[in-house]
Amino acid sequence: MNHLPQAWGRPRDDVYGAYDHAYLQNGPKQHTQSPAVTGTSVLALKFKDGVVIAADNLASYGSLARFTDVKRLRKFADTTVVGFGGDVSDMQYLDRLLNSLDIEEAYGGSSHTLNAQNLHTYLSKVMYKRRSEFNPLWNQLLVAGLDGEGKPFLASADLLGTTFSSPSLATGFGAHLAQPLLRKVAFDEEAAAKLTVEEAVEAIKESMKVLFYRDARSLDKYSIAVVTKDGIDLKQDEKLEKQSWAFADQIRGYGTQIN
Amino acid sequence: MDTLVAQYSRPMFEKENNYDEDQMDLYNPAPSMSLKFAMPPIAQPSAWLRAATDDHANPDCPIKIAHGTTTLAFRFQGGIIVATDSRATAGNWIASQTVKKVIEINSCLLGTMAGGAADCQYWLAYLGMQCRLYELRHHRRISVAAASKILANLVYSYKGRGLSMGTMCAGVTPSEGPALYYIDSDGTRLAGNMFCVGSGQTFAYGVLDAEYSYDLSEEEALALGSRSILAATHRDAYSGGFINLYHVKEDGWVKHGFNDTNPIFWKTKLEKGEFSNVTSEMV
Amino acid sequence: MAMFSQNPLMNGPNYSFSQTPSTAAAGNKEHSFYPYTDNGGSTLAISGNDFTIIAGDTRSTSGYNINTRYSPKVFKIGGTTSSQDDATLVLSVVGFAADGAALKERLDAIVKMYRYQHGKPMSVKACAQRLSTILYGKRFFPYYVTAILGGLDEEGKGAVYSYDPVGSYEREQCRAAGAAASLIMPFLDNQVNYKNQYIPGSGEGHALQEREKIPLPRNEVEDLVKDAFDSAVERHIEVGDGLQMLIITKSGIEEKYLPLKKD
Repeated sequence: MNHLPQAWGRPRDDVYGAYDHAYLQNGPKQHTQSPAVTGTSVLALKFKDGVVIAADNLASYGSLARFTDVKRLRKFADTTVVGFGGDVSDMQYLDRLLNSLDIEEAYGGSSHTLNAQNLHTYLSKVMYKRRSEFNPLWNQLLVAGLDGEGKPFLASADLLGTTFSSPSLATGFGAHLAQPLLRKVAFDEEAAAKLTVEEAVEAIKESMKVLFYRDARSLDKYSIAVVTKDGIDLKQDEKLEKQSWAFADQIRGYGTQIN
Repeated sequence: MDTLVAQYSRPMFEKENNYDEDQMDLYNPAPSMSLKFAMPPIAQPSAWLRAATDDHANPDCPIKIAHGTTTLAFRFQGGIIVATDSRATAGNWIASQTVKKVIEINSCLLGTMAGGAADCQYWLAYLGMQCRLYELRHHRRISVAAASKILANLVYSYKGRGLSMGTMCAGVTPSEGPALYYIDSDGTRLAGNMFCVGSGQTFAYGVLDAEYSYDLSEEEALALGSRSILAATHRDAYSGGFINLYHVKEDGWVKHGFNDTNPIFWKTKLEKGEFSNVTSEMV
Repeated sequence: MAMFSQNPLMNGPNYSFSQTPSTAAAGNKEHSFYPYTDNGGSTLAISGNDFTIIAGDTRSTSGYNINTRYSPKVFKIGGTTSSQDDATLVLSVVGFAADGAALKERLDAIVKMYRYQHGKPMSVKACAQRLSTILYGKRFFPYYVTAILGGLDEEGKGAVYSYDPVGSYEREQCRAAGAAASLIMPFLDNQVNYKNQYIPGSGEGHALQEREKIPLPRNEVEDLVKDAFDSAVERHIEVGDGLQMLIITKSGIEEKYLPLKKD
């Protein structure tokens, strides 16, 4: 021990090595720990008898719009749609994992199928387990469907294993741009429970359009799914309609400036 | 060929729901205190842990572990006096003013807490368990020397992994008489007459050294222990709260209160005329 | 010479606190994985004579974004079913929500297992010790959470146990944790433990008498909790949306939800 009071009980540099700030900012590098080919926002909104979820069809490689027909919404067992933001290879891995889960469940013999809530619990455990191994699946997922009581269910799980649920959710850039627009139509569960399918789809499409105006990693081709008790209506080749770029020349710094 | 392929290909996906080991732990009624710890699966866990928890090197570190202390213990003709403050700090935040830094290992042995609060609590409780097992196996009380050695060997085996503790073991046994040991997380174990440990140790030593003698009466010894802690709480910002005072004798320890420093300070000043650096005017 | 060995200028060993001005490591930082995040929010627990109240706000944040306005931080522990109707213990966790959820599930499984193996519910005292060892089991890869455990002790008195991330724990009268702990805790010191309150006219100067500590009735404690959170919401961006309050009495656990400001 030492006469310097502050030193007491602190790790000594001669024992532990110098304090290395890099560990805090980076963590030590072990696995490949950064995403490469990525998808941007996923948006979802509850309405009175289900959930609408949408994501565009772009997979970016850094700033390069690399693949323009990547489907980022995935059906599970006619009950649930999972939307993937983040790394595309990890999305494909999760897709294989969910396929195997689907097969296992189908062979299980029980007529009971996993609902959206069950699937979200499963996925969040997978995500948390992988983060605890310092080998994360670099995604943020939205899980949309119905819960055990047949009520609309919407929840998120991310690469750290963090989970939360809300009447409207948006990942990535959408959390900044689209979430406020969605909250305007569904501030809380009561408001969401009054929305019709048409209103919900309209709000999602409008948000996708706003994202396309401002998110440089987005695309005007997108997938959209409506999940209700009657099943899933998934459309994978939608095009943004009624775009209006009239606002563009009013904004300095948006596009080419003439004067 | 198949073996070659198997060697270089990976399965399409791993079994992600492999919680067997975790689940077995639940069915197992074995003691929860074990030497099994979860480690971050990385090359240098201790450097990583330090980056995440050392609030002194980096005040913005995410996980702040409670620290800061003054503890003392000394031997005298009537046994051993153990005294501590009660403040726990995490960075500049006072996390608690009511920490019990004297840990009652069993009815005859005391440990003190300085450094990481959790480290001290856990390992002294573990030591208590080991001492009880020794009693059951050998039908006699463990010596303070042996008990302190169990702890010292244990923390030494974790050296370099980031434990932080500075503790004293005090006890009176028929074979040893009053015995006092200092053990820290570097693995040091020392026998001695008097120790002060923690960020306020220097201030406590100052008072203790000036007034200490082995022949102190019980009353004088208790007063000296209390006064030394008071001095430390006055000058060390990381110490404060209450004075926790114990007297260890051959037939076990006796608690002599857990008293607020503030009234003691003013009593000491106004009645004995000490702390003349502080004005008593109420402005 | 040994006394100069601490001098960094002479290349001796250093301590972790800065003896020379420290600068952040220069150069580009590689984007890689850091397993923690802070989801904000605050929790608060106060014990009374025959009850314990544990409360938490329901906002979940990442940075400046609000993830959701309803994400509970306070959980019933160790009931016989998943609905936790007959639970007697309450755990609150604040910090990194995923670690909090993992900790909650782990403790719940252990307390349920205890009930199954011993045929009786776990006491708060035993559960408090067990929670400490669970947290310490991850001493080298900590759960980034501040936990508070509440219940009624063997005598039926309210009990609150507070923890640091690696399991040091203490039984207390009251405790605030999380983002607004530094705003709420001083208020509690003053209003629950009457710190720095003196009886007017009881003496001159240093002879002034401290106000006597009395156990607070339940309705007053509930009001204190509401006031504490309303005030915290005014001054902390990570606290708000809703207040969830679990009140443990001998007749069971009562749950209350009150709205907080949503801005």
